[in-house]
Amino acid sequence: MNTKLWNWRLWVGFGVSVLGLLIYVLLLQRTRSIFWGSLALFLVSVALMISGLKRAFGQPQAYRGKVAGPVLAVLGVVVLGVFGWGAYMAAKLFPAALHAPQVGQQAPEFVTVDSKGNSVALAQLLTTSITDSSGVARTPKGVLLVFYRGYW
Amino acid sequence: MRGIQRTLSSLEGLGILPVAISADTPEESREHLIQKANLSYPILSDGKAEAIRHYDLLLPGAGENGRDIGGTAEFLVDPSGTIRWRSLNENGPEKFLEAARSVQ
Repeated sequence: MNTKLWNWRLWVGFGVSVLGLLIYVLLLQRTRSIFWGSLALFLVSVALMISGLKRAFGQPQAYRGKVAGPVLAVLGVVVLGVFGWGAYMAAKLFPAALHAPQVGQQAPEFVTVDSKGNSVALAQLLTTSITDSSGVARTPKGVLLVFYRGYW
Repeated sequence: MRGIQRTLSSLEGLGILPVAISADTPEESREHLIQKANLSYPILSDGKAEAIRHYDLLLPGAGENGRDIGGTAEFLVDPSGTIRWRSLNENGPEKFLEAARSVQ
């Protein structure tokens, strides 16, 4: 009969690393902050697994995991490797905007459609007077273009 | 996006009009941003990603079903059409406000 305690840190640690990868893969397209969330989960996973391994090898009479521990640790490293490779590929596929217009340059003109279906050009936006919440119209001082990825 | 909504009155007070631009259709913007998130500033649809291309923010095929979409960036343009500030990373609303104050 085996009276040794279940070394849950190893298994939970491995589970957390898989969770980190899943969250990263499934939600990557939503926001970049997901990357940091996944990275945090990996750090938690590494800490749990190290502590699990210490238990398995430091107190082998009390805890199980001398066989499972190294196997899970290797698998964990593989999961982390897939995550790192994915993040590297993502950085390659979505490069920083090298040719984006710079400060001091003329903003490229464009025409878009507003949520009511009307055409809106940048030139129009720049001359639109701004009515604040109290109903006071102000001379425009500028337009803040906020590009976002969208919801699709 | 919600950060801009929170600072909308400060931005308006400074004479700055924020507009959001993506490749989403006007219907998608209405559904997600105007009805659900209650955003009251202009949400512009750049369906063919022309503006996104002009600003070099295109992420080819990165959207749903391989749709072309744009990356995240902000540009502050003064009334003469000159770019006065830009950010190619995600920033908090305090950064917008700082930039908006600098063009006064």
